[in-house]
Amino acid sequence: MISVRGLQKRYRVHKRAPGLKAAALSLFQRQYTEVAAVDGVSFEIEAGERVGFLGPNGAGKTTTLKILSGLLHPSAGKVSVDGHEPRRRENAFLEKIMLVLGQKQQLLWDLPPSETFELNRAIYRVPRAQYERTLDELVELLEIRDLVGRPTRQLSLGERMKCELACALVHHPKVLFLDEPTIGLDVSMQMTMRRFIKNYNERYGATLILTSHYMDDVAALCPRVIVIDKGRISFDGKLEDLVRRVRPDKRVVLRLGGPVDIHALKSIGAVIRHAEGEAVLQVKPGDVSRSVAHALSVLPVRDLTVEDAPLEEVMRELFEQNRAASAGSEPSA
Amino acid sequence: MTVLRYLRLLGVQLRASTVLGMQYRVDFVLDGIIEVFWAITSIVPLFVVYSARASVAGWSFGESLLVVGWFTLLGGVLEGAISPSLFNVVEHIRKGTLDFVLLKPADAQFLVCTARLQPWRAVNVATAVAIFVYAFRSLGHGPSWLGIAMSLALLAASTAVLFSLGILTVSAAFYVVRIDNLMHLFISIFDAARWPSSVFRGALRFVFTFVIPLALMTTYPAQALLGKLPLSTFVFSLLGALIFVGISRAVWLHSIGKYTSASS
Amino acid sequence: MSVRSTVHALPTLLRVGFAGAVAYRAEMFVWALATTMPLIMLALWLAVAREAPMGRLGKPELIAYFLATFVVRQLTASWVCWNINSEVRDGTLAMRLLRPVHPLVAYAAENIAAIPVRGLVSLPIAIAALLLVGTGPLTRDPALWIVWAISMLGAWLVTLFTNFAIGCLSLFLESSIKLMDVWFSLFLVFSGYLIPIELFPPGMRAVGDWLPFRYQMGLPVELMTGAHDRAAAFALLGRQWLVVAVLGGVVAFVWRRGLGRFAAYGG
Repeated sequence: MISVRGLQKRYRVHKRAPGLKAAALSLFQRQYTEVAAVDGVSFEIEAGERVGFLGPNGAGKTTTLKILSGLLHPSAGKVSVDGHEPRRRENAFLEKIMLVLGQKQQLLWDLPPSETFELNRAIYRVPRAQYERTLDELVELLEIRDLVGRPTRQLSLGERMKCELACALVHHPKVLFLDEPTIGLDVSMQMTMRRFIKNYNERYGATLILTSHYMDDVAALCPRVIVIDKGRISFDGKLEDLVRRVRPDKRVVLRLGGPVDIHALKSIGAVIRHAEGEAVLQVKPGDVSRSVAHALSVLPVRDLTVEDAPLEEVMRELFEQNRAASAGSEPSA
Repeated sequence: MTVLRYLRLLGVQLRASTVLGMQYRVDFVLDGIIEVFWAITSIVPLFVVYSARASVAGWSFGESLLVVGWFTLLGGVLEGAISPSLFNVVEHIRKGTLDFVLLKPADAQFLVCTARLQPWRAVNVATAVAIFVYAFRSLGHGPSWLGIAMSLALLAASTAVLFSLGILTVSAAFYVVRIDNLMHLFISIFDAARWPSSVFRGALRFVFTFVIPLALMTTYPAQALLGKLPLSTFVFSLLGALIFVGISRAVWLHSIGKYTSASS
Repeated sequence: MSVRSTVHALPTLLRVGFAGAVAYRAEMFVWALATTMPLIMLALWLAVAREAPMGRLGKPELIAYFLATFVVRQLTASWVCWNINSEVRDGTLAMRLLRPVHPLVAYAAENIAAIPVRGLVSLPIAIAALLLVGTGPLTRDPALWIVWAISMLGAWLVTLFTNFAIGCLSLFLESSIKLMDVWFSLFLVFSGYLIPIELFPPGMRAVGDWLPFRYQMGLPVELMTGAHDRAAAFALLGRQWLVVAVLGGVVAFVWRRGLGRFAAYGG
């Protein structure tokens, strides 16, 4: 469905030192430097897959999404989405996709969302009957019936994003690109969005690419992740494999019934946290059953869970590794 | 098929623009009042000038008034269709929401040019007609039917040229992000269309006839109404307008190609 | 918002304003070019004067007049009204209020900081003008030049104050841009921007004397081109500063009311 090979995107950026003199000089002469936002990215995505793009800010995730949706022309490489070349921006292609940008709306600001829905219906040539049905469903699921008649500028961010999502799906896109869709939303709204998006994917087999800083989004939605850092892919595969590779150690979380000697804890595993009534220990995957058995036998354990390291930490670790690796091979920008 | 589709889209855009306009009712009234003021500012200098002279650069008072009339009419087109749409584009680029326009399966130039139409600017037409009537009364005769037909054709051509110039201006926004001033520049230059082009001499006259064809927009229609426009000029003007449209389309497509998003 | 903190902040405000004006060099150049009105009017009046001078004004005088208009416009123009309107719409006015500097001072500083840049752009025009017509049409009296300098400051203040006052109206109305348009069209007619003040018909002259527009633009230009003798010049200068004082009061009033409105609506 989606095929990307050797994708590159380079920009020329104007750089200037601060200060009055530099400002005056820049009137006459400008310094440029070239930045590679995407530097040799390749991957394949099947129809109906849900894939998460992860990476630090400026890694090239949004750039890649924009190239996939035809908004940016790549500097080099081959891109194909459902048999179309995105850069050609054929109408047939555009009718199959949608891009949702967090914190930016396509909803007309001064008018109610319903007007934008109507506009999109006309532009995407959705037959009226199908439009009514789809809209009804979307409005019901997202619980925005009371909102669609009010001017967009009067809605809160969460309400706007829900309407934005409805607007994006009015024409039933086969491929959905989501760029930080839950940014700035409160926890319950994030969960609503996630649930809705997953539901849409499962019902209609739409292909989904999601970028997010919230690991929970990715963990909940994307069985497969692609990690992009400095414009290159550093991992492509199942989320659990990523965790296992980067921070394979498990965490044993203990709820304790009484005071515990720190040495006892240390004998089970490395102590991450030790407070009144609870302790978190880091344990190698192979040692888990032995450590658990030992803990249960010597400690006053009320409750015990075994978890993977939090995703945030895994990501941080991964980026640290990347930075260390590249610091050795390249001069800094 | 596609023409029909775009006509339908135009209808939808008009509807959305009107609904938007309804939101700001006070603007309706204010726009009308401002129109009257602008018309006055156009005419006052002429009154002062012609109180001392009978003819300026070969044009009498009534004849110059025709030029002002066309200037007012086209000003309405500019204010009601062209500048709002183009300012809209500039804002899109600034806020990074132009991406959404480019994502739609319809021609971006069309979407952008029809996004913010202000149909109530037709009031300008009324003002212009009033000026025409006054001018013809002062001249002592009316226009011929041929003259009216030719001037209407030139009106269509002028609208096309104005849109093209607007597109060219806005295309600059893809290279230089803040171009609110370019829009103002464009509108300021349009101001030169309030005088018959023979007022200008030498290089400026050349520029205003061929490069930024203001002569086409106001002087020629006025001449057509007076029956003084040579046929060859008329035909060349229409051809020139077509060429302009072609060039601006090419530039727009090229700029879209170069477009880089406002943020990451 | 003490005087002290304002004075402390001024150098930085000016420096940042300058950097801002310079950062968008293409835009700056374009803005200067957009002041085409004086040149367009010049074309008309030259055509008029082709056969015979209009009153005192022949070709060289007209060229001097309108090029002086261009320079005065470049140095005194203000766009604060548009700034305020867009900040009220975006909600970023609140940010300005958080700073320990009065917004009027901040706007004034931004404007002043851009003057060197705008002056630079009008320099070629001024030089071209001098080369074209020599210093003939310009006044020779040094006292008048001093009066001129003061009148430039007055003109700048009048423009700034009217911009600010009308801009503040956007706190009461949805948008005061249209109002500014009406004001601007009156300015075009009565300030001498379109028609040299000397050539105003008597009726217009009488009205124009009592409106602030003349003191925004016409007065400095007239002084430069020697339209008045010393006595008249001083009298007009006095009137200009009376206008400045009145407008200052209006600004203070509108601002206080506007602030109250703003606070009531939570920005």
